[in-house]
Amino acid sequence: MSDPSRAVAAAFPARLLAFSGRRQGLGVNIALALALSIVCAAILIALAGRSPLAGFLAILDGAFGSAHQIGAALNRSTPYLLSGVGVAICLRAGIINLGAEGQIALGGAGAAAAALAIPNAPPVVAIVVALAAGALAGAAWSGVAAAIHLGRRVHEVLVTILLNFIALLLVQQLLAGWLGQVGAGFLQSPLMPRGAWLPKMPDFDAHIGILIAVVAALGAWFLIWRTPFGFGLRVAGASRLAAAYAGFSRSQLTWGAMALAGALAGLAGGVEVLGIHRRLIEGFSLGFGFKAVTVALLGATEPLAIIPAALFIGFLETGSLAMQRQIGVPTALVTVIEGLTMIFVLVAMAARRK
Amino acid sequence: MPPLLEMLGIVRTFGAVRANDNINLTVQSGEILGLLGENGSGKSTLMKVLYGMLPPDSGDIRFRDAPLDAKSPFDAIKAGIAMIHQHFMLVEAMTVTENILLGWPGGGQVLKHKQMAEHIRQASRRFGLDLDPDARISALSLGRRQRVEILKAILRDAELLILDEPTSNLAPTEVRELLDIMRRLRSEGKGIVFISHKLPEVLDVCDRVVVLRAGKLAGEAAVASISREQLAEMMVGRNVPMPRVTEGEHRRGALRLSVRGLSATGLSAITFDLRGGEILGIAGVDGNGQLELAEALAGLRPVTDGIVLIGDHDATQASVTARVEMGLAYLPADRSHTALVKAMTVFDNLMLRDSRRPPYGTRALLTPKTGVARARDLMAQYDIRAPGVDFVVGQLSGGNQQKVVIARELSRAPTAVVAHQATWGLDPGATRFVLDQMIALRQQGAAIVYISSELEEILSISDRIAVMAGGAIAGVTPNRNVDLRQIGLWMSGRHA
Repeated sequence: MSDPSRAVAAAFPARLLAFSGRRQGLGVNIALALALSIVCAAILIALAGRSPLAGFLAILDGAFGSAHQIGAALNRSTPYLLSGVGVAICLRAGIINLGAEGQIALGGAGAAAAALAIPNAPPVVAIVVALAAGALAGAAWSGVAAAIHLGRRVHEVLVTILLNFIALLLVQQLLAGWLGQVGAGFLQSPLMPRGAWLPKMPDFDAHIGILIAVVAALGAWFLIWRTPFGFGLRVAGASRLAAAYAGFSRSQLTWGAMALAGALAGLAGGVEVLGIHRRLIEGFSLGFGFKAVTVALLGATEPLAIIPAALFIGFLETGSLAMQRQIGVPTALVTVIEGLTMIFVLVAMAARRK
Repeated sequence: MPPLLEMLGIVRTFGAVRANDNINLTVQSGEILGLLGENGSGKSTLMKVLYGMLPPDSGDIRFRDAPLDAKSPFDAIKAGIAMIHQHFMLVEAMTVTENILLGWPGGGQVLKHKQMAEHIRQASRRFGLDLDPDARISALSLGRRQRVEILKAILRDAELLILDEPTSNLAPTEVRELLDIMRRLRSEGKGIVFISHKLPEVLDVCDRVVVLRAGKLAGEAAVASISREQLAEMMVGRNVPMPRVTEGEHRRGALRLSVRGLSATGLSAITFDLRGGEILGIAGVDGNGQLELAEALAGLRPVTDGIVLIGDHDATQASVTARVEMGLAYLPADRSHTALVKAMTVFDNLMLRDSRRPPYGTRALLTPKTGVARARDLMAQYDIRAPGVDFVVGQLSGGNQQKVVIARELSRAPTAVVAHQATWGLDPGATRFVLDQMIALRQQGAAIVYISSELEEILSISDRIAVMAGGAIAGVTPNRNVDLRQIGLWMSGRHA
């Protein structure tokens, strides 16, 4: 094992993030953390010379003001929810997977390539094939990370982060090459065939991605709480020694958790491409990977709690656009709120371990 | 002249356990005191009390003719006491000088690198440490790193050095050099407490020995006036025998566990046969291959050579799960991280190794309904005192935690059992419970490997006794008219 990877391993509180037992009061702590970060945001808005109340009202208006706004917020939450659930599955086993970003990007590329390859397929087939291809591409990428981590004993944080850069460059290369649209001024693919577009929900601007994501979260809940594999993940997250004693192979758990996380992230990429952009665009997934971690932690790695966590971030970000328009507080404030929330949530978790 | 260190009537309890029961200990300047005792005899507790890591319940400590009330190791260091731990506290990427300067007292002053290097050179010459101030720690052997720790203590003007098992990681030549360094320190008037299991070293370098047993002072003697045999006996002790369960010829069942030339890291060529209804007690000072043997039998440690048969099955390369299915139960010594997941519930811990089998589940799915019912039954059957199956195991008492492990492992009706330090940290009642369970299982025809550093327990429940030393079996004897002195000698590594 190389020295930097040890340093990274030491710097990341894996134990802190990998909870397996009961979490009495954790919900209360997280709610407190959220409240605190909102108070801090209010102070920041006030310092900027604006009324915090007006700011929050603008956010609420921007998020819930119309069916269109709600739809946009739901769409925004979708990739966060999908990839966040994947990150949470890994965290349950004590694996810190920071590779959602790259997995989402490749998932998008996989979905786009598949959809473009079968332009005349009937709608349902086109969507299923494209999303499956996206999930597969994401899982393949996280599989690379798992292989390096297990085979060469490099810390998973390093592997997954570094593979993000390679994935983004790969997508760039694909767009500059055979997936790219000839003559476009921007690195992007041609438009997807219509049959591959994700249908919208009636009366809403939201595509059906959010439904897929909620089903995925329910599935993850079942996996974690109702299968021996999920039990193994929880045991391994609490104690690797106990997992070995219980007969759970560390490499099998790691392969499984990473493949699932990659597939979910890839699905997120596919949903984003088929549902929003309808083409593969360079950088479409920028920042999603770390939002996935935020959402997983905010939901305390509990799949059912990640649903509201992802919605919270999605609505907050959508609403912040209105705040910027209406009272001139930049949307960057939302990034600050997210960062503060993360810090407070981590503090709340650390406090519980005392 | 008053002694350098005087500890009087030290008492320290953990719950019902008296880890230190009215212990007196003195160390003179220019004296090397050997502190001996089995694991759990109270040595570490006593030293932690001295070093300010644990407050005593009662008792007085005087150091350099003044009361010492160390609230933390900082206070102890400031007073002139230095503890050299088994695991060194050094930054590998830095040089010797830089490590010594780290945390150097008198903060705020400019650190004089050159001056310190010169100090180090001088002290190194004076005490025969042979250390280069500019050498990087990562380039030094374990023996040299230990000397850096000793040097740190010397340069901080420590008058009393506590060396906790300092020879356990050293090569034989390094051990000799360390003993020489200790003699030089003594001739410079330092007091030394030398904690060790290794009798030859203790007899070689110490002036006096103090032996602890079960938290009490078991004996004290000048080294000149005591033989190795006497010392061994003093350590092992002749306790009041527990009711002897094993009398006369035991019923011999079928061959349940057969081990031939089993070798692994830290384990060399272990061989024994065990029939149903037989308990093989494995005695020995902790750290002589017991953990390695237990893990190799359980499938948690790669085997480099040899064969393990569980019943008729060749288990040498079998997985942990396969061994469980062959009928092997394993009670690990490490209860907090291996045998149990403390953050999880009683239910989770009861199904820890059985989640893929009924009633807890199938290969693909958990079946909580039948699983919880089984867990409730086990709680009642094994008298696990917890508010419910959803209670977190970490909040149970030590005895109840071990009951969870025993309930899980023994309710499977195993044909072979490996139990390692199964009564460690338990009060007498819980200890008795564990022993009774072993005896009941023997009655039912299981073969049991009972590994313990508590000789008394081994004597009370074993049919045969094997003693481990240095990763091998030093001797085996039937449990009849056992010569305790012989056992003590085997433990200390001298072969018969």
